[in-house]
Amino acid sequence: MSTATPEVAPCRRCASALEAEDLRCPICGLMTPPRAHGTVERETAKVVRCENCGASVEYSVEAKAPRCDYCGSVTRVETTVDPVEQAQAYLPFTVDPEAARAALMGFLGKGGFFRPSGLAREASVESMRPLWWPAWSFRAGVDVSWTADSDAGARRSDWAPHAGRTRFDFDDIIVPASRGLKVKECEALAPHYRRDTEEREPRGPEGANIERFEATRSGARRTVLETVERLSRERLQQGVIPGRRFRNVHVAVALSSLYTTRLALPVYVLAYRYRDKAYRVLVHGQEAGAVFGEAPISKWRVAAVVAGVLLLVLVALLATGVLGS
Amino acid sequence: MQEQSEETTSTITGPLLHLGCSNCGARLVVEPSMRTMRCPYCAAPSVLERPPVPGVPEPTFALGFTVTHVAAREHVAYWLKTRSRFTRTGIRTARPGEVRGVYVPAYLYSVLAHSRFRASIGENYQEQETYTTTENGKTVTRTRTVTRTEWRPLNGELSGYVADVLVTASTGLRNEELEALEPFDLRGLARYTPALISGWVAEEPSLTHEQCLELARKEAVERVGGKLAQFMPGDSHTDLEHQSRLEWEALDVCLLPVWVLAVRYAEDAPPLRVLVNGQTGEVVGKAPLSPWKVTAAVLALLLLVAVGYLLASGGGR
Ligand SMILES: [Zn+2]
Ligand SMILES: [Zn+2]
Ligand SMILES: [Zn+2]
Repeated sequence: MSTATPEVAPCRRCASALEAEDLRCPICGLMTPPRAHGTVERETAKVVRCENCGASVEYSVEAKAPRCDYCGSVTRVETTVDPVEQAQAYLPFTVDPEAARAALMGFLGKGGFFRPSGLAREASVESMRPLWWPAWSFRAGVDVSWTADSDAGARRSDWAPHAGRTRFDFDDIIVPASRGLKVKECEALAPHYRRDTEEREPRGPEGANIERFEATRSGARRTVLETVERLSRERLQQGVIPGRRFRNVHVAVALSSLYTTRLALPVYVLAYRYRDKAYRVLVHGQEAGAVFGEAPISKWRVAAVVAGVLLLVLVALLATGVLGS
Repeated sequence: MQEQSEETTSTITGPLLHLGCSNCGARLVVEPSMRTMRCPYCAAPSVLERPPVPGVPEPTFALGFTVTHVAAREHVAYWLKTRSRFTRTGIRTARPGEVRGVYVPAYLYSVLAHSRFRASIGENYQEQETYTTTENGKTVTRTRTVTRTEWRPLNGELSGYVADVLVTASTGLRNEELEALEPFDLRGLARYTPALISGWVAEEPSLTHEQCLELARKEAVERVGGKLAQFMPGDSHTDLEHQSRLEWEALDVCLLPVWVLAVRYAEDAPPLRVLVNGQTGEVVGKAPLSPWKVTAAVLALLLLVAVGYLLASGGGR
């Protein structure tokens, strides 16, 4: 990854990347070494005499910080916070707004048979918002232990038990963190990004918004771990577990060298209106050919096809004499 | 006893008072202003000053109290009220007494466990079976579907981190009691600073590192066993055996927030010790049963059965 070099040494036990405030490794639980004073560590409360009035300071449960009995001033205690973090790397827009609009028109004009014929002409583009949507990208090595039942080696029962252990490497897997986009939309967009274009600052058309991360650090880690388990389960069923049918697939993962980057990925969100109904289309920010979205279907054309099919069936029945006799 | 101002480890706060309970063996550390005679654990008035024990490990982590002592007392009052009817008289109406917040030392253990397992996995299948039965006085042959189990051996491995194992390092709090108080939310973990425990009673680890390591290893292996039971394929399994190799062990002292209450429910009985998780409010205690009440209840039940039997056999005649 070109940007976002880790500032903190990785975990000594599992080599996963650590954040500055981590007291323990989130993957394996190993204690992180205390940092040298004056570096990243937040200001810690080392005062037991009140700085304000000099009285001895008491720890207040309500404030979770030492509170002075006499003057009420509070000194801060270092605790693990669960912060909401922002993107570390931005991918620039390489498709400009004109090209995005053209891509939408192409998408509407092309269509299939069921699209209304005048769609590209009649649709009015209501808005076009360039924005960066948030996602995590991770790479990790995973030691996967598994058990499952499959049809391979089955005797009297349809199922035979199997177990094994294997290693998977995950490289640059994108995990969506967007609230605005649907998971399906994110999954469609993700493969078209050019990861070698990462930059530290957003670069794109004027007025482009950044959707902020809303998950906390621990929430983010949970999502990444769930993705690792889901992907491992899928990969196991593609050639690792013997057989063709599976059930009871159990997976236990031990991650090593997990490294996560927070990404901001460019996309155009376009809204257009056709006959009083609003539709949304996404145009990829780095590849104008990647357009995903909804389009109306022509009720007339659908009705015509259905009527045509019915007619054909009727004719066929008459011809074979089923109805005639 | 010689006053020793020479500090061992946990000390930016000025001289701390080192106390010891001669009844339960708890080794406490408090600020001089909090000098006490009564042990927060066993409520015995046998706390004496002692010289600091050298080589006591300094805590690495601490979890702060988030349940106030008022809330802790309310949790206990509710807990007392909801005890069984067979507890000794006075328990359900007792008022919780003095509440003491204690930072209890525990060891936080994590490890990479490689396990090999062996088990018998049961895979079910259905079979048609013919059987004979008597219908209307005639013997007839019928068929039915039965589910049978085919047992297949399975060997395998399970590798993974076992993090967040907590074992007590205190003689005052038994490991069963700690287990009953768990879980603690370790996301709230803070790096230990003396300021954190200022104003509270903290206990020094009084169990040795080796004793705690042994407890922690045992718990980690038990957890692997529990995980393996969930990990087995098939419709059922039996004879699950496993052997674990533990790698990369880490053991850190962590102070846990516990409210300790002494509940006096009778003049003649020692006070009942009740513990409250200072983070979740979970209440742990062992309300003693009244032998009289239990005996009376058993007798009453026997009597009822006897009467019922007599009535039933009398009615049948
Ligand atoms: Zn680690
Ligand atoms: Zn003050
Ligand atoms: Zn005691």
